[in-house]
Amino acid sequence: MISNIIKTEWLKLKHYKAFWVLLSVTAISYPGINGIAYYAFMDSIDAKSQSGQLVKMLLGNPFAFPQSFHTTAYLSSFFTFIPAIVVIMLITNEYLFKTHRQNIIDGWKKNNFIWGKFISVFLVTLIVTLFYLAVASIIGTLATKEMAGINIFEKANYIGLFSLQVFCQLSIAFLLGLLIRKAFIAYGIYIFYSFILENILSGFFRVKSKKWGVDYGHYLPFEISDRLIPLPPSIGKFNEADNKLAIAAIDSHVVYTLVLTLFVWLLSFYIFKKRDL
Amino acid sequence: MTVLEINAISKSYGKIKALDAVSFSIPQGSVFGLLGPNGSGKTTMLSIILDVLQADKGGYKWFGQPPSYQHRKKIGSLLETPNLYHYLTAVQNLRITQSISGRGNEDDIHAVLEKVNLHERKNSRFSTYSLGMKQRLAIAAALLGDPAVLVLDEPTNGLDPVGIAEIRNLIKGLSDHGHTVIMASHLLDEVEKVCDHVAILKRGKLIASGAVESVLSAEDCIVVNAADQVLLEDCINGYPGLIRMSRSAEGIECYFAKGTSSAEQINRFCHEKGLVLSQLVSKKKRLEEKFFELTAE
Repeated sequence: MISNIIKTEWLKLKHYKAFWVLLSVTAISYPGINGIAYYAFMDSIDAKSQSGQLVKMLLGNPFAFPQSFHTTAYLSSFFTFIPAIVVIMLITNEYLFKTHRQNIIDGWKKNNFIWGKFISVFLVTLIVTLFYLAVASIIGTLATKEMAGINIFEKANYIGLFSLQVFCQLSIAFLLGLLIRKAFIAYGIYIFYSFILENILSGFFRVKSKKWGVDYGHYLPFEISDRLIPLPPSIGKFNEADNKLAIAAIDSHVVYTLVLTLFVWLLSFYIFKKRDL
Repeated sequence: MTVLEINAISKSYGKIKALDAVSFSIPQGSVFGLLGPNGSGKTTMLSIILDVLQADKGGYKWFGQPPSYQHRKKIGSLLETPNLYHYLTAVQNLRITQSISGRGNEDDIHAVLEKVNLHERKNSRFSTYSLGMKQRLAIAAALLGDPAVLVLDEPTNGLDPVGIAEIRNLIKGLSDHGHTVIMASHLLDEVEKVCDHVAILKRGKLIASGAVESVLSAEDCIVVNAADQVLLEDCINGYPGLIRMSRSAEGIECYFAKGTSSAEQINRFCHEKGLVLSQLVSKKKRLEEKFFELTAE
């Protein structure tokens, strides 16, 4: 059955131009943001000025191996909203064309339909992770002057952390699309919440954490997975204590992210099963 | 054998009762028309039997068994509007139908496109089609793999007169080959031409169902006319077994319990009363008239 679902989803995606165009935009954005940051950094450390030398001394080179996997994951994670648009489009289009009904009428179980979308979100995550991996490898190669004695894959765990973060955030985007059904409203809420409202809430909880003793902001839906990839240590030196705490909390956030992602998909299956189409 | 058995299905949208304990069954090989004015519950009923909506109460059986997705795979369906991917071509859309339902193969896809006269535009995107072409493609999807049962909701929507005639012939052809067709339609003339069984819904309630002949002929109707219609009315009023009568353009329509009327006896009765009839016709009621009669407020 799973092979039939994969085949059918592929038939839907294969000739969907908007899907490939948006993935291409993602493919451009990753080298774009990382390239800009990399060349800006190289320019600053190449400068003969005192500040340039200070930056070099303080930061080392965050784009060199093995740090490259962490730094590019951190920078690339700002652009998850582009594949999120793809995912929202994939589900809201089904509602727009009423093909979600037709898929059921033609013989799918309601669970099959959601499994199809789960596979699509997984596929998008895989593609996005490959983009990130390519960018991390290329920038790492460019930035590493001496490969000898370096364990390139020392920070390769960030490949898994990045893909988990992307999958979790795309799953939330999917749930929004499933709940709201209208593409532009779902995009609007996604962008507003992830870029504005959650940051405000995060700030609020940070202030209150001094009084409450716990920062509940760490458990907000996007922050849970954002904390899988904290600021790279070389850049995080400016607030070393917090950075160390954030890195130490990664393992806990892996668990929280897995639980949240599982919850999001169980809720999606439940909603689609119970709701009239 | 019964293809579909519907048992006391009820469905509400808030305070509005879309279906109220509706029960009927559909015999195998029949062309079954589901009729009713707008908002009578036709599409709701079809949506429930295709598992798109859930009934609040009651249930249904396909082929004598509790419904399952395996049954839906064997049923070709068109519900409400053509639900297809706008960015895909006809062939690509039908490949998705084929993949999900398991009905037909690549050759069958081209064969159904020929059947609905879309083969020349098979590689055009769905979004570029006219309303009629979209409807044809949706019908092609329903026909894919030659399913034994078809559920068609307003199949002639958006079609021109030639297209309507083609679909009528298509349905007749399917019936001749033993397929069961369940169709909802507003076009009573079309339904009368192709259906052998009907169910009529009004505000979610079933008001008539069965073979077309039995639904139409709940009463006998004989039309009489004479030079003096007032005298004729007085005379006919005294005829034993008359249920009611009404004037029409053709004369006076006299209604009797089914199987109790006799044109010969009416003629003799009037003759004995000194009236010479200028017209005496046994009239078969048309579906449209019956529909208006049943659904009148």
